[in-house]
Amino acid sequence: MEAYIGEYASGKSEVAVNRAIFLARSGRRVNLVDLDIVEPCYTLRPIKKKLTEMGINVVAWETREMMGLGETGCIFHPANRWALKLSGDVILDIGYGVEGAKTLNLVEGAASDPDLKIFAVVNVARPMTGSVEEIVQYVRTLGKVDGLINNSHLGDETTMEFIQEGARIVGEAARQLGIPVVATTALEELARVIGTHDAAGHPVWPIKRYMPQTLW
Amino acid sequence: MPDKPIEGEKRVFMTGNEVVAWAALVAGADIMYGYPITPQNEIMHYWTRLAPKFGREFLQTEDELSAGFTTIGGVLAGRKAFTATAGPGNTLMQEPMSMAEAMRLPTVVVIQQRGGPSTATVIYSQQEVTMTTLGGNGEGLRIVYSTANHQELFDYTIKAFNTAWKYRFPTFVLGDGYQAKMRESLTIYDPASRGIELVEAEPFLGKPGVPGVDRPPTQLRNTYNVEEELYEVLEGYFKDYEKIAPEVAEHEAFGLEDADLVVVSHGVVSRACKAAVKELREGGIKVGYFRPITLRPLPVDAIRETASKARQFLVVESANGQLARLLKEVAYGCPVEMLSLFKPGVGITAEDVVSRVKEIAG
Amino acid sequence: MSVQPAMPKSWRVDTKPHKFCPGCGHGLVLKALGQAIDELGIQDRAVFGCDIGCSLLAWDFFNVDTIQTHHGRTTPVITGLKRANPNLVGIAYMGDGGGYAIGSQHLVNAASRNERITVILVNNTQYGMTGGQMAPTTLPGQKTETTPYGRDPEKTGYPTQGPEMVAAITREGAYVARGTVANLRQLKNYLKKALENQMAGNGFSFVEVLSTCPTNWRTNAEETWKMVEQELPRYFKVGEIKVPGGQKEGEANG
Repeated sequence: MEAYIGEYASGKSEVAVNRAIFLARSGRRVNLVDLDIVEPCYTLRPIKKKLTEMGINVVAWETREMMGLGETGCIFHPANRWALKLSGDVILDIGYGVEGAKTLNLVEGAASDPDLKIFAVVNVARPMTGSVEEIVQYVRTLGKVDGLINNSHLGDETTMEFIQEGARIVGEAARQLGIPVVATTALEELARVIGTHDAAGHPVWPIKRYMPQTLW
Repeated sequence: MPDKPIEGEKRVFMTGNEVVAWAALVAGADIMYGYPITPQNEIMHYWTRLAPKFGREFLQTEDELSAGFTTIGGVLAGRKAFTATAGPGNTLMQEPMSMAEAMRLPTVVVIQQRGGPSTATVIYSQQEVTMTTLGGNGEGLRIVYSTANHQELFDYTIKAFNTAWKYRFPTFVLGDGYQAKMRESLTIYDPASRGIELVEAEPFLGKPGVPGVDRPPTQLRNTYNVEEELYEVLEGYFKDYEKIAPEVAEHEAFGLEDADLVVVSHGVVSRACKAAVKELREGGIKVGYFRPITLRPLPVDAIRETASKARQFLVVESANGQLARLLKEVAYGCPVEMLSLFKPGVGITAEDVVSRVKEIAG
Repeated sequence: MSVQPAMPKSWRVDTKPHKFCPGCGHGLVLKALGQAIDELGIQDRAVFGCDIGCSLLAWDFFNVDTIQTHHGRTTPVITGLKRANPNLVGIAYMGDGGGYAIGSQHLVNAASRNERITVILVNNTQYGMTGGQMAPTTLPGQKTETTPYGRDPEKTGYPTQGPEMVAAITREGAYVARGTVANLRQLKNYLKKALENQMAGNGFSFVEVLSTCPTNWRTNAEETWKMVEQELPRYFKVGEIKVPGGQKEGEANG
């Protein structure tokens, strides 16, 4: 059971989706849970069908089930409350917002379940998590965090150097926080160049970009 | 407290709403007044996170009328004040902005267009062009920048404060829900590092000295007794607006030299049009690309020149002809034929534009 | 040669005589306000905002910086000004239509937020400038252009109890009172306290003033005076309703 949290536009959903697909492809039973209750766009709704076809159980609204999206708010899906009781792997995609990590309080058992790992996704191209100091400060506001994910990128302009620089910064922040860097993410093409581990020794997770298809 | 929000410059990855908050910060905005409405909320979210770190202020008001009028109050006190809104909020915003027009107050308003009319969708449109350029009971004495990407959102938000305080006309940055929510990279910078000088704000009310003793009192009004009195004031405004219009108006164009058909669009739609025109030209079809960046005032000379040379304009917009109406007025008398690709409240892709051009070409 | 009557120092002499109707209460309210400004010595930092309606005729009344706004919108303009420059003393001046009808949401929310501004609302029981229509404060049975048979409370409600409402929604630090042009010494005292309360940074300050409109009431001097002295107080209780520290009569709000 893994929960992905982080700053607005840090890439939480992207990482969560890729993780779910990776686990599903290795033959595991995977539940992907959309817990974004602030941001009515960039949620999993638009790619729900596609993910379902990959064998993933997606717990999320479908756009047409909603009414007045963003006007009526982002309604918490009742099934989300029991997400941790689902059998198989559970990947939670948690939205941003002031105290966004507290969204977990809405999930039954989140505070007490020892198997739930909470990972903070960090992109050093985000101005409020751009330096070691800022990341440390930010992650400390999140409550319990078990590890960091270096998801540093500049969209289409991402270079290997940029990802490696991110690995260095996120690695140092993790060291100061006393938690591990679980992985560095990179688009498949770049991941091939970087290898299985980045320059700071963190494992590399090759990812595909699914989220640009999900805008609204 | 750190002096500058950004030292030098930095390549970053963020959403359009965040870009606006950062741009307002580096432009020296002192205070934001705002009321929640999607899709502009993150402008407030990020302003409220950033502002206290740099000694800036925020007030959440009871509605957009209040957001607009408190912005006016902030400007009167001599502070760079701004607000942001969308859709039905923009409708309410027209009342305060008409006062800003009447009194030449340098307010800055960021609009992230959503679907209309009414509540419609919180998602996207280009349906607030008429309202933002000509809204309120008045004559459109405003300046409106229509941005197409995050870099422009940053550049033109900074510029909007300078334009407003330099020329003293209410100034708008017209974005949309897609730009608000999209993520892309851009360079954020300290304006000084680019040689951009920030125009100083100054108080209208509450200047030093005792009114009536050390100086005359400043007494500002928007009410007149008779037609002639109002007419005289407006004549002065029109003259000023006409004079500054060529300095303010901006556009972007290419491929006009040999084009029979020119694709005209603004804002985020111009990205699709630009890609389409490039593709079509590479395929040997002679089309041109024209994009007004300022929708008020429009780049009149450039539009008329283009409309005199080209045989056809294909006006492309996510509205039912709001840009087209503005263009027709400016191009009146030019022999150009006006064709359209209108998808109100819906996004437009490069493929849409390419196939429409091919359809026209037969 | 005519002799100018004694005027507050903060009045602008070259715009006098003022433009209000004979017998209008505005001149009296503005006299009390002028005296309060003089006594507090704030002519250099007071900013006077006036609404639409007869109150806008005060736009050049004082030797004080002034902004004439839109109907109902003086409260947010002065709020924005005060937020942007807290050194100024913001005065929002309006009528009963501006404050209790078209601008009521601004009054309610400025009061709830405890904005450090002073709102002065002149209650003459109808819309004067548009020709005497019913206002939220019109008395039961009172004839106006839109209640030609007299206001029927069954159909259009009872007169708005403004200060009572403001007192109910403000917290510690607010000053709320209802004065009358029939007692200028008391009125000046209320206005002065309302300004002092803002200057001390305590909270929202609100004074409703019972006033006169002989033109639209169609009353002679005697009837006008009877209306403001006897009729209006039957519906609108004069006095301090809320004072910081709670040291005044009639305090009932926790």
